[in-house]
Amino acid sequence: MDIDEVNFLTAMLRIPSVSGQEAEVANFLVAQMHGFGWETYVDPSGSAIGHLGDSGPLIVLLGHIDTVPGNIPVRIEGDLLYGRGSVDAKGPFATFVMAARRAQLAGTLRCRIALVGATEEEAASSRGAHYAKDQYAPQFCVIGEPSGWDRITLGYKGRLLAHYYYEQDAAHSAGEERAAPEHMTDFWAAVQSLCAKHNQGHTRLFEQMIPSLRRVASGGDGMSDWVEATIGIRLPEGVNPAALADELEAMAMPATLRCEGGCPAFRSPRTTPLVSAFMRSIRKAGGQPGFLHKTGTADMNVVGPAWGCPIVAYGPGNSQLDHTPNEHISISEYRTAIAILSDVLSQVG
Amino acid sequence: MIATCPECAAEISLPADTLESEIISCPECGAELEVISLTPPTLALAPEVEEDWGE
Repeated sequence: MDIDEVNFLTAMLRIPSVSGQEAEVANFLVAQMHGFGWETYVDPSGSAIGHLGDSGPLIVLLGHIDTVPGNIPVRIEGDLLYGRGSVDAKGPFATFVMAARRAQLAGTLRCRIALVGATEEEAASSRGAHYAKDQYAPQFCVIGEPSGWDRITLGYKGRLLAHYYYEQDAAHSAGEERAAPEHMTDFWAAVQSLCAKHNQGHTRLFEQMIPSLRRVASGGDGMSDWVEATIGIRLPEGVNPAALADELEAMAMPATLRCEGGCPAFRSPRTTPLVSAFMRSIRKAGGQPGFLHKTGTADMNVVGPAWGCPIVAYGPGNSQLDHTPNEHISISEYRTAIAILSDVLSQVG
Repeated sequence: MIATCPECAAEISLPADTLESEIISCPECGAELEVISLTPPTLALAPEVEEDWGE
């Protein structure tokens, strides 16, 4: 039983799947892929899995099926399909499923495919990718993230999340004692200074340490005052997240600092047959292929170093719309990306 | 097949199974080059890698 490409993505968008709550959309995907005659199941990480193809090299198509919060009414306006996850990243994963199906129906498939609709990419845990990392040893991998139909993403920066907490005895605001939030702003300034020092002479964003203050809260109960904050730092190649966490913890004292989500930057070479296949397919569709390094972090950072195979990220959509209330995807671009990836799958093998 | 590096003019021997749109590194200067034609073998500098926000 087959389903129209736009109906398939629309159905995915209608199922909310904030990180940690992907079960319903995973079950939907498993049912759909099972209908294609593929071997399907939900794996222990909650990811939706589909296997097809009998011979040839293994290519893993891994895209995340969770989204950030925020309900965007699912609707079509002209060529645009609106909905949370339409770009990041249900649109790219729907592209994967539909491209694999198209190549299979065309009889052009020369490889084995493992589709992984992964959980919790938008959380620090990257649960689905971490589980998948130990389940496969592919010859090729494509990560589902928006690159635009005619561009290929080769690398992502690393990341570290740091949770700051400081508490002190309550004191009068007119007294000598500095307020708890002031200690936090001192630490934030020190983090900014550390990053600025690293960034001297580095003009490319991919080479820079970029901090962001994600959350601040403070309060008191008359006996003690407290402040907490979350800081995210996007990391360039060469910065070890664990070593940086140690350095930040020392800087934060006497406050406590808990770091999580440490992930080094990753960059894939482009002198690979996978990249060449994408280039040929994009040119065949009338495009001029482009390459991207992204300032964010993705599941490529998790599986890329472990698998050591040719890997790119690909998918329709404008990543400027990631996490925005205006998230939408061009239907014509989505269809074009399906055609391109289907052609790539016919070349790999 | 022999092609010329557009960056340093080195002569580069391409394997017989080379395909159009492959990207290779010049063994002399390290420049990344795209095979834009096989008849005759022609190389061009591969597109610049751009930077983008996201994910």
